[in-house]
Amino acid sequence: MREKPEEGILKVKSILEKYPKERRFLLAILQDIQKTYNYLPREALNEVRDYLGIPLSSLYSMATFYKALSLKPKGRYVIKVCDGTACHIRGSLDIVEEIKKQLSISPGEVTKDGKFSLETVNCLGSCALAPVMVINDKYYGNLKPAMVKDILESTGD
Amino acid sequence: MNGMVQVPRRTVLVCCGTGCLANNSMEIYKKLKDKAAELESGFPVIPVLKATGCNGLCERGPIIQVLPDDIFYCKVSVSDVDEIFERTILKGDVIERLLYLDASSGKRVRSFKESEFYKKQFKIALRNIGQIDPACIDDYIERGGYEALKKALFEMSPEQVISEIERSGLRGRGGAGFPTGYKWRQCSKTNDFPKYVVCNGDEGDPGAFMDRSIMEGDPHSVIEGMIIGAYAVGAEKGFIYIRDEYSLAVRNVSKAIEDAYIRGYLGRDIMGSGFSLDIEVVRGGGAFVCGESTALMASIEGRVGEPRVKYIRSTEKGLWGKPTVLNNVETWANVPVIITRGAEWFSSIGTEKSKGTKVFSLVGKVKNTGLIEVPMGMTLREIIFGIGGGIAGSGKFKAVQTGGPSGGCIPEALLDLPVDFDSLSDAGSMMGSGGMIVMDDRTCMVEVARYYLKFLSEESCGKCTPCREGIRRMLEVLEDICAGEGREEDIELLLELSETVKEASLCGLGKTAPNPVLTTIKYFKDEYLAHIKEKRCPAGVCKKLTSYRINPDLCRGCSLCAKRCPAGAISGKQGKIYEIDQGICTVCGTCREVCRFGAVEVAGRATE
Amino acid sequence: MKVIIDDKEFEAEYGEYILDVARRNGIHIPTLCHSDTVPGQGSCRLCIVEVYERGKNKVVVSCLYPITGEIKVYTNSEKIHRMRRNIIRLLAARAPGSEYIKKLKEEYGIPEETRFIVDEKEKCVLCGLCVKACEKLGSMAISTVNRGATKKVAPPFEEPPVDCIGCASCAHVCPTGAIEVRECKGKRVIWNRTFELLKCTSCGRYFITREQYEYMKNRLGIDMKELLCDRCRQKSTAEKLVSLYKKLLV
Repeated sequence: MREKPEEGILKVKSILEKYPKERRFLLAILQDIQKTYNYLPREALNEVRDYLGIPLSSLYSMATFYKALSLKPKGRYVIKVCDGTACHIRGSLDIVEEIKKQLSISPGEVTKDGKFSLETVNCLGSCALAPVMVINDKYYGNLKPAMVKDILESTGD
Repeated sequence: MNGMVQVPRRTVLVCCGTGCLANNSMEIYKKLKDKAAELESGFPVIPVLKATGCNGLCERGPIIQVLPDDIFYCKVSVSDVDEIFERTILKGDVIERLLYLDASSGKRVRSFKESEFYKKQFKIALRNIGQIDPACIDDYIERGGYEALKKALFEMSPEQVISEIERSGLRGRGGAGFPTGYKWRQCSKTNDFPKYVVCNGDEGDPGAFMDRSIMEGDPHSVIEGMIIGAYAVGAEKGFIYIRDEYSLAVRNVSKAIEDAYIRGYLGRDIMGSGFSLDIEVVRGGGAFVCGESTALMASIEGRVGEPRVKYIRSTEKGLWGKPTVLNNVETWANVPVIITRGAEWFSSIGTEKSKGTKVFSLVGKVKNTGLIEVPMGMTLREIIFGIGGGIAGSGKFKAVQTGGPSGGCIPEALLDLPVDFDSLSDAGSMMGSGGMIVMDDRTCMVEVARYYLKFLSEESCGKCTPCREGIRRMLEVLEDICAGEGREEDIELLLELSETVKEASLCGLGKTAPNPVLTTIKYFKDEYLAHIKEKRCPAGVCKKLTSYRINPDLCRGCSLCAKRCPAGAISGKQGKIYEIDQGICTVCGTCREVCRFGAVEVAGRATE
Repeated sequence: MKVIIDDKEFEAEYGEYILDVARRNGIHIPTLCHSDTVPGQGSCRLCIVEVYERGKNKVVVSCLYPITGEIKVYTNSEKIHRMRRNIIRLLAARAPGSEYIKKLKEEYGIPEETRFIVDEKEKCVLCGLCVKACEKLGSMAISTVNRGATKKVAPPFEEPPVDCIGCASCAHVCPTGAIEVRECKGKRVIWNRTFELLKCTSCGRYFITREQYEYMKNRLGIDMKELLCDRCRQKSTAEKLVSLYKKLLV
């Protein structure tokens, strides 16, 4: 966790308190933790285990099954390049190649400075703007490889 | 009122669907709103501003409609706002340059309804989208919302509701087209409580965004449908499972549920009828397999989304082992209209076995990409070349993919196929949830099959052998073919593995997974053979099997290709014929894209 | 009720699974993920059969298909045989290291794999029995991890599992010998975790991990006054019975 451990745990506790102690809220709890920390810290999973009484193995299974969950920290800016069919046939992989070249990371990786992480996603439902990518919540449509450099450079903290 | 003169209102609908939002429509909306707020009283017109859901024509966004004048503006930018406000909103003038340009006639059209894109559509599920503010329950009510619920609760018995849906011929819009009324009846007959109703909003087909638009643009229609369904089968709890990536849908549906509770359409003793229902939103976790009903239910229960063997139907043993009716977003959104207008009306639309309409996301290499709703039975040609305006750019139509990863690719020879559940299945594809991806001659069908299998190999839950191992091996073979390593017997092998995966897999994901491979082999076998035998990719997509040549007879020496080539592989002199250095070329295709004379041609693998 | 399997008529109870009826009557259907102690997964698909019901035919897994009406079953039709061979080929390409799978491959006359890339050491076919067994015993130390082609069985974080009691039930239930258990000098190593073994108070043989002992005593409430291995426990029970009989006879 990036902040002091005690503060980190406090945040998890406040997430847990919102939900009754029932298994059906597990996915929602994990998603809230993911949103708060950008990943699922181990300490947080231990808290969830104690709160819901679900073994660690089940939590690990969930965390590796669902794409919305991740066990490794993501970058401050998460680049999601859509590789849905519409984007795919309009050249989404060329966009991925260009980002790989610019940032020296492959999908699933984080830049050394922790600024960017790169992912390909299946469909962002913005097929009319294909090819599309999203950086955090900002959409970029009708992309061409040549546009990538400027977009990355203008994305700042 | 009080003898005051009624000041005319002018309603301005700003599309804030995801496509338009990506093009800055929120800023346009805010600026218009600010301008309206600055307006002093006593003005001859009161502007009413609404941020609506997706209009469908995402390609031309951001989109603004002005009512009652029925003026439709496309590709509006923030800098147009002042002019729109002064001229159109206050005076009713039309700004010609912002009007929609019909692709085929080349004429500008004032009203959306007159556009080629809209004319042939028939809207049931999308009836309110683009016309209402999805965050405003009164907008929905004003257009007849929750009237169907009142009718069902106070004028109809649960049995009558079920038989109405049965007689309407409504079939599930999520994929397989299972008769909705029959499903409801199965559930209502079961004497086990509690019962559940579930809405599947885990739209995961790449190239499809129908459900997203409905949940974002008209969430109450889904909720109303679910309440009616719950009343019919005797359920007291409902869940709407929404893909987590759809944050706006989660927000709008959650807000709509809240408002429905406040107005007494949800909760205890709905409108004094004695019937009660609670609905909750569940965010999906990002797993395509959760579109499969039993996997979705496992996910709602807080487990890994693995499907279970389904020899006992969910209508008997579903969520937590209790009777459950699960329908897709579009199916639920159809229900209130059927109740209001009656089964006869609904079943008069469509074909003999596929009633009503279907929403499609028409995307890919087509001019008017976007969201459309058409009566069942319209031909693919009418959709792609009529509503869609034909192929974008200079390419030629090659295939249309329907049904997502479970569907298949349909060739030109079948363009007159009517779009309904059974015709598409007979062609080896399927309706699916409604993705319709148009492909041109620059799309490689082998690569498309590879693409879908790659997708499925990652999205398979991995529980059963045929799906996990079979797809993985089929993908291995296809990757080899695309890389020029294909063997003669590979097509046979793909067909044999397809049979096993199709027949022996546990759930729908595996059972339909071979469809993209089977249909491309069936309709585009020559492309497979070109890859395997001639080591050539006719579409120029598979990089290892492609090189580009400049045809000296066509090259005019304009130098554009050389200027744009990112690798610096093209050399020559202005006015002379240019040449590509195969050793440097990365086969990115930029030269082919930019050449105005069609001089860049696709050839087979570069000779070493 | 009646059921016809491979053209012969048999008696079945309503809701009984095809596999159980077939086995009772000596009809062999191959299985991997089915175990009498942890049944009902339907994941390996080896036990597929063809069912004709109400004029329709379909392929189902016999381990989970309940007989609820008049059906005809074919356990080894041409189609089933072809698909079963394909499934075994796929399993063999996945887990060529397993002796059991090798035997199946020979039985079905499947040639050596030359088309697919294989990992010679792999033995796991991902049937999921180990996970189910662990769950049933209550420790839930392992689970399936990832999905799709990358799915596997592993402990959390792929580290020695904290919740494991070293009972090795997972290894016992595994049909392909994919879970390694090593025992030496009073220690047992499983899932990369080392457990101390306790001796049988009667014969002196190492037979149980300390964690397993604690688990049985504290969580299951089993009386563990004497620490007896299975063999000695049987012996001691027999001896007790003999002395009881003797007393009764006197």
